[in-house]
Amino acid sequence: MAERVHTTAEIDVWGTIVFIEVASTKVGLDQLNAGLAEVTDYVRLIDEEFSTYKPTSQVSQIRRGELKIENASAQMQEVWHLCEVARDLTDGSFDPWVVKGGYDPSGYVKGWAAEGCARILQRHGAENIQVNASGDLYLAGGYENGKPWSIGVRSPENKFEVLKVFEIYDGAIATSGTYELGAHIKDPHSGLIAIGARSASVLGPDGGLCDALATALIVAGKDGAVYFSKPELAEYKVWVINRNEETAWSIAQPSE
Amino acid sequence: MLIRRFFLIAGGTIGGLGTVLSITPPQFGATTGLALGTGGSLAGGTTATPLASPTPASTTKATSTPTKKPKKKPTGGTKATTPPPASTPTPVSTPKPAGVSGTFTGANGNTQFGPVQVQITVVNGKITNAIGLTYPTGSFRDQQINQQAIPYLIQETLAAQSANIQGVGGASYTSQGWVNSLQSALAKAGL
Repeated sequence: MAERVHTTAEIDVWGTIVFIEVASTKVGLDQLNAGLAEVTDYVRLIDEEFSTYKPTSQVSQIRRGELKIENASAQMQEVWHLCEVARDLTDGSFDPWVVKGGYDPSGYVKGWAAEGCARILQRHGAENIQVNASGDLYLAGGYENGKPWSIGVRSPENKFEVLKVFEIYDGAIATSGTYELGAHIKDPHSGLIAIGARSASVLGPDGGLCDALATALIVAGKDGAVYFSKPELAEYKVWVINRNEETAWSIAQPSE
Repeated sequence: MLIRRFFLIAGGTIGGLGTVLSITPPQFGATTGLALGTGGSLAGGTTATPLASPTPASTTKATSTPTKKPKKKPTGGTKATTPPPASTPTPVSTPKPAGVSGTFTGANGNTQFGPVQVQITVVNGKITNAIGLTYPTGSFRDQQINQQAIPYLIQETLAAQSANIQGVGGASYTSQGWVNSLQSALAKAGL
């Protein structure tokens, strides 16, 4: 069909802003806006269920021992299960169950929900999609005309500096590190501030898993390279800035 | 419909931005040479890299490293066959005009707090001033943030432009509405 329509939106949710860019040559602006409206409802619902700051959320109820996971919502159970998978794949460096205060899947949910947003938008006919959940992104369909999205990774020390640019058609890129929020990642086992890496970016098909892996690499540092020899992570790609040296390391898959 | 060199920066709350600003004074001088300077010097990621090979990536070092531009190759090839300019007896082009000067107003950008519109003043290609023509002024905090936010956003915009990227990973708190309006003003100024 005819003209390419393009629009952007910002959703104020999760204590931050989710930025969305969509374009399509198949559907009109009305359909894209309908998709954005559904996405807005979706992220608000995720916030209602998963926020650790809202005492009424299901996660808060689970943390207080008032709600058993088998009685929680379907997506709560899904994330619980996916977090178990992520915990095993990272040899426990990502573990939402051992953090202080009880079960906290926040390190998984942002990337997982970003992908969920992209799926909703695809159902509404969006072809080129960027969902940027404050630095954790899910991309689909490339940028335009068969070109990939160019996604920069900020320096953890200077947000004006883009250290690395990745070209992505479809998939997630999640970055963890000591950015504006400060040292917010703790080693789940020692309870201390994680000291493995300064910044970790993970690229791959699964948004939630990328988010969890990036978090785990901040804890494990170079030791985390071993995760990516597992067959489940064969499609994943990594870029990490080491903690105490001015060096970085990366893993790219042989197929590239 | 799409602006040339369109780019995006990860969104975030303006409130968060205010906090960042109070500890990071904007510095216009620092914008040139930002961004891609390091991109070219870091191996891995987009290219095939041996499994887990450590790559030097000094952030301080990298900014001073000349940027590798793959595009230069073909240009160099054509240049080699072009006669040197010295053989042309008369200057073909008029003297290069000094950089653009004037006042440029961006399109309206939307934030969750309301519309924003950025106006920049340019003298000889350099931004000398930027004001918000329209911006959320609902609270004292809004005004406080707006006084600081625009110069900060110019710096961030220029950094993203020179990197030619459409999104940024890593936590970010810049409202996209601001950036959209500023981007539009910069495009009008040809910057």
